[in-house]
Amino acid sequence: MITTLTQTNQWTDVFKTSKGAIYQCDEERCWYVDFAGKVAKFDYRCLLKLRKSVYHINIEQALLNTTKDPDVEIIFICACDHCYVLTLVQIIALKELLEGTFVMLELNHILHDKLVIGQ
Amino acid sequence: MKDLLRIKSLISTEIESLLNQQVKKEAYSSSVYLSMASWCNRNGYDFSSDYFFKQAEEERLHQLKFYKYILDMGGNSISPEITGIKQEYNSFREVFEEALDQEISVTNAIKNIYARCLKEQDFVTVEFLNWFLKEQREEEYKARRALELFEVIGEEGTGRWQIDKHVGEIKYNG
Repeated sequence: MITTLTQTNQWTDVFKTSKGAIYQCDEERCWYVDFAGKVAKFDYRCLLKLRKSVYHINIEQALLNTTKDPDVEIIFICACDHCYVLTLVQIIALKELLEGTFVMLELNHILHDKLVIGQ
Repeated sequence: MKDLLRIKSLISTEIESLLNQQVKKEAYSSSVYLSMASWCNRNGYDFSSDYFFKQAEEERLHQLKFYKYILDMGGNSISPEITGIKQEYNSFREVFEEALDQEISVTNAIKNIYARCLKEQDFVTVEFLNWFLKEQREEEYKARRALELFEVIGEEGTGRWQIDKHVGEIKYNG
């Protein structure tokens, strides 16, 4: 795990918000998620699993929950080195970051498709 | 920036999720047919029971075809959880009516995936689905023909015994 961000020119910005950023590394065929004070490396499978687990959290229900439980969610991804312990506000921010990232990846895919067809 | 999603998988997440839903649907169909086979056997309709055993086997093969396709394309196949299978039927006819309903619902589901593939221009999956569309022609024909037997033979007297005998002989030559 990398704790400080030493971005190289091999990393491409995929999506950034005020709370975090996701970069793609073509050479390693992976993504680096800069969020909650750490930069974590995710391969294709793990990034999809992260998205699934974050999207799965029922934010509305958690907001309406009036019990005295701590307002914290543990995002643990099977067969992945990283784990997040996030507050509700952080989860909303991570969800926004991931949503933006996948829109950008989809856009990248469309552009690649059009370029191939155009050739 | 490389298109890493495309490098890893030929199908989109949406198509993958629809195909996984279909895996579940086929598994459900297989279980429903198995339950119908049991009901028919218990009630003395042995030929129909054999017919439903064969149908259950076919649906299982369909499920595996979808399952392997997802994996071959780089996706993630999800082994489905099947619950809520009806075990009792009110009549011999009801079994066949529900079998037809089941097939219609499978056809509709495949049409839905097909439409999504066309929208995304996923012609690889379209080509894969063509086999299933042809298969549904046969499945729906067989289910409809079985129900037709109730009309042409009638259930009175030894009617049900005759229907049962003929169900096993239904063939589609389309």
